[in-house]
Amino acid sequence: MKCRRCRGPAVIDIRRHNAAFCRDCFLRHCREQVKRAIKDHEMIVPGDRVLVAVSGGKDSLALWDLLAELEIEADGLYLGLGIGDYSDESGRHARDFAVARGRRLIEVDLREEYGFDVPVAAAATRRAPCGACGLSKRHLFNDVALREGYDAIATGHNLDDEAAVLLGNVLRWETGYLGRQAPVLPNAPGFVRKIKPLVRLGEREMAAYCVLTGIDYQVDECPMAQGNRHLGLKEVLDALEERSAGAKAAFLFGFYDRGREHFLEEAAAERGDLRPCPECGSPTTSELCAFCTLRDRATGENVPVHLRRAPVGD
Amino acid sequence: MLLRNPRREIEIAGPITVVKLLQQLQINPETVLLIQGDTLVTRDALLSDGDDIEIRPVTSGG
Repeated sequence: MKCRRCRGPAVIDIRRHNAAFCRDCFLRHCREQVKRAIKDHEMIVPGDRVLVAVSGGKDSLALWDLLAELEIEADGLYLGLGIGDYSDESGRHARDFAVARGRRLIEVDLREEYGFDVPVAAAATRRAPCGACGLSKRHLFNDVALREGYDAIATGHNLDDEAAVLLGNVLRWETGYLGRQAPVLPNAPGFVRKIKPLVRLGEREMAAYCVLTGIDYQVDECPMAQGNRHLGLKEVLDALEERSAGAKAAFLFGFYDRGREHFLEEAAAERGDLRPCPECGSPTTSELCAFCTLRDRATGENVPVHLRRAPVGD
Repeated sequence: MLLRNPRREIEIAGPITVVKLLQQLQINPETVLLIQGDTLVTRDALLSDGDDIEIRPVTSGG
């Protein structure tokens, strides 16, 4: 295969673009896609302080690198989730990357700072660990960004992640979640803007970006995520993509362009009247926010937990 | 040939194209990268005996 741009030997083919690229042209392609996503969805304005949620995996490290390539200064936030060797190794990848590039990495350890970790929370709630993990991440990303005065939280959700979330929400007709699924969730009282600059790039492209730029990332899958619903949805979408290149992008971008608008009212109605959580101050529609409820249950407080099912993989 | 998640090593006789190799292993090409040293191998590449290749899954669980 030859590179579509320079006609040199290609190193990667991207079937949905009907194209192959050499190393340099591929890296340029990645920068262009991120730049376009940021511009099209007005994710970042000049002067914004951006915080990247860094897991040590391919997506978040590639995102941090790509933002720097586009001259967007961003700090990183790593959450220690307490998932044994997996978390230890993930943290090492995040730290090594930050040190090598001279970036600021904020670290929050769930166990040290809140008295529980993901396995303990999963056991206490008798639910899949991904639910407790996602809830903790959403809460702490927002909490740290607010406390530290950041304007936007950038997450490494890519095209595959978003397409899988969309499929999961469509299969259950989660109309509220469908109304809230977007590349940008604007800031609101108590909420920092959430942006997904990788939404135009697939999972395979992000892994390729890391290999070709020498980014050492956590390759192993989270042991607690094995066999989860999100992976099942991705498997279905990958099978469709193999038969019909571009299916995932058409599904996701078609939704953004023509589908989401039909669910906005329900999303707003579901949000209800928000008030500050009496323990942490985060906006909530309940007496106590979901994170504080989870923490109380996981640390032995006698509080019943009813984890609301979050959008898959969010 | 090194396969990840779970990590295992297998021997496959060459020459064989990447497409045929993945068919043989029943792996969807959309879900992996083929890595040789510090670069990648495209679908149409012909692999020879002695080539050291890693087949790395790219899917993560969210």
